[in-house]
Amino acid sequence: MVKKKGGVTVLNESVIRDVLSAVLKNGGDFAELFFERKFENRYELKDGKIEQATSGEIVGVGIRGFLGTKAVYAYTNDLSRENLINVAKKVGEALEETKVEDLTFNFNRTKRKERHVVLIPPAQVEKTDKVSVMKKAYYAAKNYSELIKQVVVWYWDYDQEILVANSEGTWAEDRRVRTRLMINAVAEKDGVLERGFYGPGAGMGFEFFDRIDVEEAARKAARIAARMVEAEPAPAGKMTVVIANGFGGVIFHEAVGHGLEATSVAKGASVFAGKLGQKVAAECVSAVDDATIPNGWGSANVDDEGTPTQRTLLIDKGVLVGYLVDKLGARRMGMKSTGSGRRQDYTFPPTSRMSNTFILPGDYHPEEIIAATEYGLYAKTMGGGSVNPATGEFNFAVSEAYLIEKGRVTKPVRGATLIGKGHEIIQKIDMVGNDLARDQGMCGSFSGSVPADVGQPTIRVKEIVVGGRNK
Amino acid sequence: MTFEEFKDRLFALAKKNGVEVQISFLETKEFSLRLANGDLDQYTDAGKFNVEIKVLKDGKTGAFRTQVLEDPEKCFEEALSNLQIKDSEEKEYFFEGGEEYREMETYVGRFEKLSVKEKMGMAKKAHESAAKDERVAMVPTVMYRDMVIKKIITNTLGLNVESQMDGGFLFAMAIARDTNPRSGSWYELARVPEELDPEEIGKRAAEEAISLIGSKTIPSGKYPVLMRNTALLDLMEMFIPMISAENVQKNLSPLKGKLGEQVGNPAVSIKDLPYHPKGLSSTPFDDEGVPTTEKFVLENGVLKTFLHNLKTARKEGVEPTGNGFVGGIRPVNLMLMPGEKSFEELLKEMSRGVVITEVEGMHAGANSISGEFSLFAKGYWVENGEIVHGVEDITVSGNFLDLLRKIVLVGNDVKVSQHTIAPSVLVEVLDVAGK
Repeated sequence: MVKKKGGVTVLNESVIRDVLSAVLKNGGDFAELFFERKFENRYELKDGKIEQATSGEIVGVGIRGFLGTKAVYAYTNDLSRENLINVAKKVGEALEETKVEDLTFNFNRTKRKERHVVLIPPAQVEKTDKVSVMKKAYYAAKNYSELIKQVVVWYWDYDQEILVANSEGTWAEDRRVRTRLMINAVAEKDGVLERGFYGPGAGMGFEFFDRIDVEEAARKAARIAARMVEAEPAPAGKMTVVIANGFGGVIFHEAVGHGLEATSVAKGASVFAGKLGQKVAAECVSAVDDATIPNGWGSANVDDEGTPTQRTLLIDKGVLVGYLVDKLGARRMGMKSTGSGRRQDYTFPPTSRMSNTFILPGDYHPEEIIAATEYGLYAKTMGGGSVNPATGEFNFAVSEAYLIEKGRVTKPVRGATLIGKGHEIIQKIDMVGNDLARDQGMCGSFSGSVPADVGQPTIRVKEIVVGGRNK
Repeated sequence: MTFEEFKDRLFALAKKNGVEVQISFLETKEFSLRLANGDLDQYTDAGKFNVEIKVLKDGKTGAFRTQVLEDPEKCFEEALSNLQIKDSEEKEYFFEGGEEYREMETYVGRFEKLSVKEKMGMAKKAHESAAKDERVAMVPTVMYRDMVIKKIITNTLGLNVESQMDGGFLFAMAIARDTNPRSGSWYELARVPEELDPEEIGKRAAEEAISLIGSKTIPSGKYPVLMRNTALLDLMEMFIPMISAENVQKNLSPLKGKLGEQVGNPAVSIKDLPYHPKGLSSTPFDDEGVPTTEKFVLENGVLKTFLHNLKTARKEGVEPTGNGFVGGIRPVNLMLMPGEKSFEELLKEMSRGVVITEVEGMHAGANSISGEFSLFAKGYWVENGEIVHGVEDITVSGNFLDLLRKIVLVGNDVKVSQHTIAPSVLVEVLDVAGK
């Protein structure tokens, strides 16, 4: 039942109809099939040499059923008709109670409008060309400073094809190609090691390396390591913090974004539940989630439930105006899906997730923001973070920081972490810059690890706890 | 085609091309139930398999992973093409097998025999137990999960090993009412369902949340810290990359050059225990087919060994330690060996300071290359050996190697997690940032 069409494994329509019927004959009021085929390459370079080279493919199907707000999921990579029907039956049985009488599905197969054009798919590129990019990055970082003692470079690309069909007539296909280069530079001084990381990526093929300056990206990682190995520990306690643009947006991602996902909101397990239309942030804060950005790292034409993606305004001048909603969340909250149903792969049921999420630009020049700060921390480069949406308690690491003294950026400091409660901190943002930028990360949650952009212009938080050392 | 056919075809291809080949087969079955506020939120019943094909030629390997047993030629070609871009001069190896492996009962099969109703009963019971106290506002998540994992590793040098493991997990999270909501969670892992007590897990989750009602921040400063087992289990994760021989050889570990040195307090011993009966990762062999071994990593504070795979061991001319796993070198069960004191005795011993029950943000705030950590933390303020109130909005920071030196007392209250096993420990001093 699995046919090869132009080198792509596809399920035929009659099997899909039978699978959806097999769910609904046994239970539930909604059935969905998700098919995925993904091919990826991962290489690792250390000491200037390729140490690891792996490629791989995953092929599988996820079958899901709803009964009201109850969800049952199963996945398999045995794609025989017999097995798929069997799995579908079990999904229906677990849901009990049949609601659907009419088992004819009229699929609405509209031709997709490709918003994320790929010029050079990974499969068309010689592996040695990918290696050349890695080596270029390696030497740029290694030669940045004598303090740089090791550089690890990872190259990652994938080409994912998906198909979603459901009992409501959705028939959506999408292709997501992503390419990323990650550089980890390690500096050593007087027996102390420190690292610097930068990992640019995009929703495109190998043409990505015509768009970015690979050596500049590598030097950025090296700069962080070299500066931080000579830095003294960051101060501890509450202070004003200026967070630079780009990956600094991880503060919004953790402090607010996760708390706006239907997954938490629908259960009431978010500090932002029930606050739609209310002022939750300082007036200078507006933020969006936008999966439509052409070739964005977190972009797609449709989400993993087949819903077209969109740009969703989340916070407008401090007022909460939107949540991120998936299909199940839509049922639970009585709202419409915002095209935010995402998953790592077919082994995870989709749930509401961020895509490319960022604070919109304000009026200040970044220099003005620093000049207006008597004393504080300048968080120039950020690491990852995490949050508990139910309490709003979040944290994220600062991987490159400097002190601000009398309106000027002064000495480097290392090991700072910023923590707080999202709903409190978002009200304490008092300056927003005009230099919006986005950076790439991987976001982990219930439905696995997905590519996501974070972003913001330079912002200032009047007061936040900096986890550092005491004198 | 069947796995046997697939394997035969690949072995024949290897022979024809004058190379060695290794096939790792991994089959996973999982069942999970998630309740939100007592209602079924997600039900998953699924299975899949992964196959990794590795080719070895002239001391280099290349790998390809697939979930389709259709085209051995294509898999072989892909793996070979990955091998061809490698230019590292460090030799890689396959294990020849033929060794004695420890007899272990890693598969009991009790979880598979439970009916869905019984599993649901466990989840519901945990929910009810967590929701019982009126100070609990909600129980947003209860998660039941069980799994069976089957592994086969075989290669053209003669290795042929097979194992099967099963286990389960029950988790509950409770939110207590306060000016700011307080969350608490608890989980247990076990090889048989009888060792998962839903009532107790729910109760502990509720108690954790309730105990934080009225939490306050504390002034920034240096304090004695009682690191409870729940927090230490997570913190120990950052020690794992540091003891990897690979990272040591590549200048990526602060423990480089410290073998045989006193790096921790004499009160601290850390072992890798691959046969620990409660460890769900326990296994007789690693992902290269090398027998796992029990060993001290730290014995009375002295660094005894790094963890090796075949490549790092043969590079240094030492025996592999059976720690070569997919995704890198790691211990099977890294256990900080327990001492004599109960948690209450440690509390009395500390007298005044902070109990840390939870650290968050390990993936970002803990740096295994420098050893530095600065993490969001939760816990209690202690005076006169008694818990006075919960603490909120604080971080705890330090250097992990420094922490090993400052562990002055080790408790006897051992808790088991995925790859780490630990009791609570009393740390002389750590940095806390608060108000």
